[in-house]
Amino acid sequence: MRGLSEREAGLTTLALLMAEPAAQTSFAEEALSHLDTLYRGALRLTRDPDAAQDLVQEAYLRALRYQHSYQAGTNMKAWLFAIMRNLFWDRFKGSRKEDVSLDDVGEFVLYEKLRDEGARPEADVLDKLAASEVVTAVEKLPPLHREVVLLVDVEGFSYKDAAQTLGVPIGTVMSRLHRARQQLQRSLYDYAVESGIVHAGGTKEATQQ
Amino acid sequence: MNCKDCADKLDRYVDRELNNTEVLEISLHLEGCPDCQDHYEFQNHLKRLVKHSCECDTAPPAFREKLRQILS
Repeated sequence: MRGLSEREAGLTTLALLMAEPAAQTSFAEEALSHLDTLYRGALRLTRDPDAAQDLVQEAYLRALRYQHSYQAGTNMKAWLFAIMRNLFWDRFKGSRKEDVSLDDVGEFVLYEKLRDEGARPEADVLDKLAASEVVTAVEKLPPLHREVVLLVDVEGFSYKDAAQTLGVPIGTVMSRLHRARQQLQRSLYDYAVESGIVHAGGTKEATQQ
Repeated sequence: MNCKDCADKLDRYVDRELNNTEVLEISLHLEGCPDCQDHYEFQNHLKRLVKHSCECDTAPPAFREKLRQILS
């Protein structure tokens, strides 16, 4: 009996030893499946590829350390993103000052602005905007507003998931998103005017006709 | 529903954040209002443009491998 107990005890210990790395591998694999989301988010927040890699690496190490606090079956992407953006804010606390500026942004509806100027908003403008210009416009947003656009527009988070990730009420997500979009549309309009896609007061096509 | 109500809810419609009743109200309004339909298509296009523009960036393979080794 004693021998059997020892054998059982040995098997139990072996199982425990094996289970831990296996669980860790599984956790790591699932976590790494969200790497592109984290990297893109970090890249847009830091606007620097090296800083983004540092931030993401630190976020993964922290996630590994605190994996016991992750509840299996819940939204790991949101959990990882929250870790990453919290680290970002720990490092760049001063950046919060930038966010005051958007409070003063007036209503700006790009669609109405373009239509009032005689443009066909989709065909004349959206189809001509280069991806790099859109990224630039996103990166110009203050970080607190930028991260909402990243979560909702780029990563497809619901308002509720975005609110949980950012640790703010849903109403805050909605108001930041609204201001961010106004500012984004204003930036894209300015770019469209500067690059000659539209002429302030009338489109190229409208002017030529 | 009038055009102002529709414009006020357009972002949430595009983001699929409205309840079924609100979705139905907006859909019915859009069917009968070409201006709001155009505006909706523009906002939807803009959202897709932001998504696709920012999605071009993916983690470099060497960085992915480095993380894989660190985490294993």
